[in-house]
Amino acid sequence: MRFPYGPAPLAILLIALLSGAGLLIWTPISRPEDYHPPDLVLATFVPEQAEVYRAALPRFEQQYHCTVQVQLVDQKALQSRLQSALQVGASVPDMVELMYGTVGFFAKGPLEDVSLVDLTQKIKDSGLYDRLVTNRLSKWSSRGHVFALPHDVHPVMLVYRRDLVEQYGIDVSKLTTWDEFSRAGRQLVKETMRPDGVPEHYMIDLDSDGNDHLILLLLQHGVGLFDASGNVTFDREAALDVVCWYVKQMEGPGRISFPCGEGQNFGKAMIDGLCLFYFCPDWRSNVIQQEIPSLSGKLSLMPLPAWEPGGIRTSTWGGCGLAFTNQCRNFDLAWKLAMYLYYDPDQLGPRFVSTHILPPLKSAWTHPEFHEPSAFYSGLSLGTVYSQLAPEVPEEHDTAYNTFANGKLSEAFSDISIYYKQHGDSGLRDYARSALKRCADRVRVVMNRNVFLKPQVAQASDPINP
Amino acid sequence: MSVGQLVTSSPKAVPAYSAVTRRRSRNPRAPYLFLLPFFAINLVFFLYPLIYATVLAFYQTNGPARRAYVGWGNFAFILRDPDFHKALWNTTIFAIFSIGLQLPLSLGLAMLLNSKNDKFKSLFRLAIFAPNLVGQVFVGIMFSILFMPRYGLFNRGLQSLIGWGLEEQWLGDPKLVMPAIIIAAMWMYVGFNMIYFLAALQNVDQSLVEAATIDGAGPTSIFWNVTVPAIAPVATFVVVTSTIGSYQLFELPYNLLQNNGAGYGPSNSGMTIVGYLYQNAFANGDLGTGAAVGWVLTFIILIISIIQIRIAGKVGSET
Repeated sequence: MRFPYGPAPLAILLIALLSGAGLLIWTPISRPEDYHPPDLVLATFVPEQAEVYRAALPRFEQQYHCTVQVQLVDQKALQSRLQSALQVGASVPDMVELMYGTVGFFAKGPLEDVSLVDLTQKIKDSGLYDRLVTNRLSKWSSRGHVFALPHDVHPVMLVYRRDLVEQYGIDVSKLTTWDEFSRAGRQLVKETMRPDGVPEHYMIDLDSDGNDHLILLLLQHGVGLFDASGNVTFDREAALDVVCWYVKQMEGPGRISFPCGEGQNFGKAMIDGLCLFYFCPDWRSNVIQQEIPSLSGKLSLMPLPAWEPGGIRTSTWGGCGLAFTNQCRNFDLAWKLAMYLYYDPDQLGPRFVSTHILPPLKSAWTHPEFHEPSAFYSGLSLGTVYSQLAPEVPEEHDTAYNTFANGKLSEAFSDISIYYKQHGDSGLRDYARSALKRCADRVRVVMNRNVFLKPQVAQASDPINP
Repeated sequence: MSVGQLVTSSPKAVPAYSAVTRRRSRNPRAPYLFLLPFFAINLVFFLYPLIYATVLAFYQTNGPARRAYVGWGNFAFILRDPDFHKALWNTTIFAIFSIGLQLPLSLGLAMLLNSKNDKFKSLFRLAIFAPNLVGQVFVGIMFSILFMPRYGLFNRGLQSLIGWGLEEQWLGDPKLVMPAIIIAAMWMYVGFNMIYFLAALQNVDQSLVEAATIDGAGPTSIFWNVTVPAIAPVATFVVVTSTIGSYQLFELPYNLLQNNGAGYGPSNSGMTIVGYLYQNAFANGDLGTGAAVGWVLTFIILIISIIQIRIAGKVGSET
């Protein structure tokens, strides 16, 4: 019998039938009889943390007679797809680890639309509020409501090439303010200037785009992108001090910085000693140790210089928090799991040794693992120095407009840099004030467009999937 | 061969045609069944999203869950937004420079490869085309490393060749961001467009070239009066598709600049219209404004394409 439409359609039909049959055969349609879905599913975007959690889970599962599944998901997918899935009621994990700066994204609309469990009361009732670094809760809050548990503190220090700093006679104990730091930097650049007009060494690694480094310095000076109520704040007077100081380190005759970037460029810069000082939150101290072993014994850490004598000597950079979705099937069990993975003192000591990440649970810092000297960092006890600074870590507040505000701050910073390059110090502060205000006002305009933050409109709006 | 010859030289064509006709008459629904998957897929993945995006453009949304009708508010906001103006300007500059530089370069390379005596023609063709195979994400990440001050290969190369550029911040200086994007795009797309031009050049009627040569025309005259008119339809196609591609640019600057931690570059100097769309729809979570940006972009591309096709038609008819 011949196929009526010719050999090509027959071939296509056969391929389709074979593919379909293959899918039917190899796709498990029904679960095995002894299959039980996990009692809890936890999604994280950090591979190292997924490994640590998987290793710790058997004890928890044994203790509570349950099963827990840890899923590793790409951060961007976790953010955008989770938000969509939460809002349309699709299946989502019971617990998710969120990256810093994203809680505002999940809490963008009216509070009743937020698909994460509000933990504010639970944190107070359980006594956690007093046991944690409380400033750290701000990072996981929106409009006064806490939506995730902090995993870390991430105090920031400066890591420096101890060998080179000693070689050039820089006394780090005297670098207590940023002005003193700049003075020492200018001296270093002058001393190491090559005949081609390019210095052999710069003092510090500073980004040229007005993002992470500028923001951590702003936080150190008490200015964030937003305040606790979600108001834009990066055009406050205190921000001018930081921005004007920053551009002078990047451009012109007083330049002491170089943007070393990330990854292999950062590593190469450290190995070459291109810059002597680098910002170093606790997590980065581990990255450096793992990825640049050749620098063992050549590095040390010091607190950030302050903005004024006696001022705060640290800031914060990065973070991760654990949220509970409103579809969480067993909140009590999930809470116990969170306490076990995040705040169990027995686990936090060994975990610090492998990650260098300081937990926000203050009582854990007394464990001996936090005070072991590090040969890599010239015998310094990392846990001791970071935990001494941790209580001073500044608050940082999030909104859904973090990315946008970051971009606008960067825009203002860039304009101010250009102005400084062209006009020098003359009129810099006035120009910086107007540039920051212009960009902050733009963020305010965009935020004010959000009809869902206006109660009467939010009520009248149309839920797409009621 | 004439049409008459075709008919008379294939006597079996008539019975074969009749057999097909008979089969069709037996199964009148068969063609529709074959077309059904195409229409079903188009309906679900093209027509429905198109209609939904049109509706969505008149709403402000809080993610996919909640929406509020804002009429023409999204369009009014976009058209007044300095960031959109910046994105439109950046994208237009990219389109002008990338087409203005890429297409002559592509044509030049195609002409070189079209020369008959080149033993390594296939090798060069592959080498020049190969960058297009790697994708914009890879190119973005790779060039973010090449453009690194002091250590980047590009900076070091410039320093060695012209004594300038070692510490230039291609991705950190607003004046250099767009040239950096254009250079990366050029590396990627010159080979792709060259393939089109090469195919067109290989189809230029050699008898016309020979006739022109016999009539005393020089290489320049032959290029302008024979080659250019012959490849004009392909050139129009390449210009139109390149313009559309330029206005849809997103992954390359996104990866080039985000990998550097610089957002869309200092002062948003690397923000394109699609980047602006992405920021509104996915970073700010307002799919309605994102949909409105999509429609504005469609309108811009439509206008520019119509103008280009009209100009090409006019030039073609004159030559």
